[in-house]
Amino acid sequence: MRRVAIVGYAQTQHQFDMDKTREDMVFEVVKEALLDAGISREEVDTVITSSSDFLDGRTISSVFLSMAAGAYLKDESKAEEDGTSAVWYAFMKILAGTHDVALVEAHTQASTFNPHLVSFYTLDPLFDRQVGLLNDIAAAAIQARMYMSAYGVSEEEIARVAVKNLLNAAKNPNAHRKIPDVTVEEVLSSKLYYHPIRELMMSPLSDGACALVLASEEKARKITDNPVWIEGVGCCQDFYLRDRDLLKLGSLEKAARDAYEMAGVRDPLTELDLFEVSEKFAHEELMIYEALGLCRRGKGKILLEKGLTEKDGEIPVNPSGGALGADPVCATGLVRIVEAAKQIRGEADGYQVSGVRKALAHGQFGICAQKNWVFILGGER
Amino acid sequence: MPYIKEERPETLSVEGEWNIGATTWKANRLLEEFVKGLKQKKLIGSLCLGCGKVIVPPRNICGRCHRRMEGRVVVSDKGTITCFTYTPPAARGKYKVMGIDPVEMGVVQEGEVLVPVFVRFDGSDSNMSLPLIGVDPKEVYIGMRVRVVWAEEPKGELSDIVGVEPIK
Amino acid sequence: MWRNVAVIGCGQTKHGRRRDVSLAEMVEDAAWKAMEDAQLTPNEIDAIVVGNMQGFGGVAHPDCWVGDWIGAPGKPVMRVATGGTTGGSVGQAAIYAVASGMYDKVLAVAWEKHSDSKEPGATTGLLHVALGNLAHALNYGLSLKHLIVTQAVGAAAGVALYQARFYMHRSGCRIEHLDMVAAKSRRNAAKNKYAHLRWPGCTPEDIAKTEMIAYPFRFGHICPASDGASAIVVAAEDIAKRREKPVAWVKGLAAYSDEENQLMSESYGGVGVLDASEQMGCRVSAMKAYKMAGIEDPKREIDVAEIYQPFPSQELIFAERLGLFEEGKAWIALEEGEMEIDGRMPTDPSGGVLSTNAIGSSALQRILEAALQVMGKAEEHQVPKEVRNAVAHGWGGVTNYITVTVLGDSPR
Repeated sequence: MRRVAIVGYAQTQHQFDMDKTREDMVFEVVKEALLDAGISREEVDTVITSSSDFLDGRTISSVFLSMAAGAYLKDESKAEEDGTSAVWYAFMKILAGTHDVALVEAHTQASTFNPHLVSFYTLDPLFDRQVGLLNDIAAAAIQARMYMSAYGVSEEEIARVAVKNLLNAAKNPNAHRKIPDVTVEEVLSSKLYYHPIRELMMSPLSDGACALVLASEEKARKITDNPVWIEGVGCCQDFYLRDRDLLKLGSLEKAARDAYEMAGVRDPLTELDLFEVSEKFAHEELMIYEALGLCRRGKGKILLEKGLTEKDGEIPVNPSGGALGADPVCATGLVRIVEAAKQIRGEADGYQVSGVRKALAHGQFGICAQKNWVFILGGER
Repeated sequence: MPYIKEERPETLSVEGEWNIGATTWKANRLLEEFVKGLKQKKLIGSLCLGCGKVIVPPRNICGRCHRRMEGRVVVSDKGTITCFTYTPPAARGKYKVMGIDPVEMGVVQEGEVLVPVFVRFDGSDSNMSLPLIGVDPKEVYIGMRVRVVWAEEPKGELSDIVGVEPIK
Repeated sequence: MWRNVAVIGCGQTKHGRRRDVSLAEMVEDAAWKAMEDAQLTPNEIDAIVVGNMQGFGGVAHPDCWVGDWIGAPGKPVMRVATGGTTGGSVGQAAIYAVASGMYDKVLAVAWEKHSDSKEPGATTGLLHVALGNLAHALNYGLSLKHLIVTQAVGAAAGVALYQARFYMHRSGCRIEHLDMVAAKSRRNAAKNKYAHLRWPGCTPEDIAKTEMIAYPFRFGHICPASDGASAIVVAAEDIAKRREKPVAWVKGLAAYSDEENQLMSESYGGVGVLDASEQMGCRVSAMKAYKMAGIEDPKREIDVAEIYQPFPSQELIFAERLGLFEEGKAWIALEEGEMEIDGRMPTDPSGGVLSTNAIGSSALQRILEAALQVMGKAEEHQVPKEVRNAVAHGWGGVTNYITVTVLGDSPR
């Protein structure tokens, strides 16, 4: 099988209500990514974008952005969910041999249409929407309470996840939420949505975009001498909300297993140096540890307690701050891939983790992480 | 009706809604420059410094060159018709446009024939879509020379261009 | 590298105003028919690609809900949505998934349920393509009269109207030819039990009797807003070869995008495409797809074409762009009966999008119908000649998206 590498990337400074149109935001981030890779638009064979019609407030959200994304007279398509899905699609296109260089772009301006409202509209229109009690925050709260009571996890322990990530985000120049002196008390006294979900335990509504360039092995070697190889990919969708076992992230378990198999990773705990995961709610990160196979069911909090997942711990998770630091909905997963690639390349100024050779990046979409994508990335050295 | 019809029993229906009104779109400021020019009866277009294309009304990005269209030029208010079409005489209840009946709303007169045309103004490389005023559709042809009909008192709005009329 | 892919199963629902099924039931119908046709159980499917234009149904990301009905839980699922070409993009994504070597059997499902929205026809969703732009322009004092005259005169037709005028001016095609295309579509649809507007024995005169909307489009020329879903199963070479039934091999595909059209461009900005019927994206896509397929002379080597034509002028324009007729001569070939089901170059033997338009699924339906023709399974609307190569085309966005897929009876 052909090998595919990430050869360039860029992201915006994620923020609330950016003073730019989508077109400007996408144009700038694509230009920067091409500059980072050192290639011109002509050398790109295919462009895959990622955005959601409902979130952008426009049907066919990418139709006015093809010029900005550099897709004029280029093979173009659009994956309408998290950016990791677009990377997966571009990856398959290069593997198929029909294209050599792909540009992937993802964006959302959460200030356009409230993403929580969009999540409400993803519910079953025949029953759940009629009853009107559920939305993505309420469902996450239900999941959090189930998890807390099943495994004896306290609110403080969940707040500590938020504190870890927010402190990490404070050092990340692209992150949205920067609270360098946040404490557990501050998290626990922030605005309550549905018990136990509070403001600082939820990802913020960010405007942001992200782009990266993929290339086949021959082209990658010509473009850069520091490629980040995509060694494994896994993807899985779970049941609809009502039929699921909310105590575990079942689809993430399967996606991680597939990715590990493809990358030849047998023990993620010792073989992977870094994890960038998309945790839209703080308690999700604990469940993610378990689903990725880093610990047994219900023991996620122990990894956190022992400081193993801190930036300077044995298995750093989200040194960039994760989704709690910045959540431009469709771009979040793509940002995770870029952050992991940054760490591998040694370009994470100010929050670099040392000695990262293999990393995992994760993207999710849907209520309570219904869909999950896992990427295993590996550097050369 | 001559069509083959299939009868189907109707199943249960439930109501729902989708609140498009909760959307706030972001817009750029290019139209601002354009309408300022209209106030002075000038048509402003954007120029791509890479390939030299002039687009009216101004556009943000040139797709071919993948760069911003930074230049600004004034194009002539005379142009050529590149395409046109015409409607049958308007009548109440004939068709609805975005939920509005144009005759009922008084926007269009009963019996009026609408002639939208594409005009390429001298100096620009793009078409602009405008209404052609005061001409019988049978007299219109592709290649016809037209000029802008300006509003009596331009206010710096898109409606300052009332339409185009043939140059006599 | 490229692994050969074949379409091994097809399934579609009956199209029309389906108030007898919910969205999920409709999608399930098509998906299960395709899996049955491919002789596979849902467990044997490795991945699923889905798509539709969600603005019409008012459900965001319906695959999260509908997934349970088509066997999605536990599998990789990708959602692809690109406006009118959604179906084509869904089919192509499934093809790349198998060609890449990562998955062996992939199900592609696309659908649309227009009748779920209150506004008649396709207005709701289409409006939202440009609603932000129109709101912006209205903010800058666009007069209602101007809006109605220019944007909405073709509210049903939009830029297709101008596209038709450019073509007619360039080539000498007349409104009578549009009547002929529409009549042919209705007649062919009468032979297709899944189509929506089926009028056996329809003549151009019947179409000419319908009222004019704006010259040259009549009511009889407009596509319906259908509810429906279509699905195909694509599989890798070794699995396809083990099938005892004929399969349709994928020989080439491309999806080049062009500059968007004049009328709805972002914030009212002008567009550099002077001739709306130029469709450079289609030319380039066709070139790339034919090159992949090893086809040098499409006029002789393509046996049947399924063209995405919500309006009759587009059948002629795109037939030329796909290299099936000389530039500007498609209407002459139409007069000589070449485009009929039993003609030299049959186009849209299924009736095409003119008679059945479930927007999200229409482009996938073109791939499906082309596959049926290659496999010889199109029943009443099967073309009465040997089909070695077929081309399926999709068009959409605001005239800037195209998908071209070439299918054949032998692998690359």
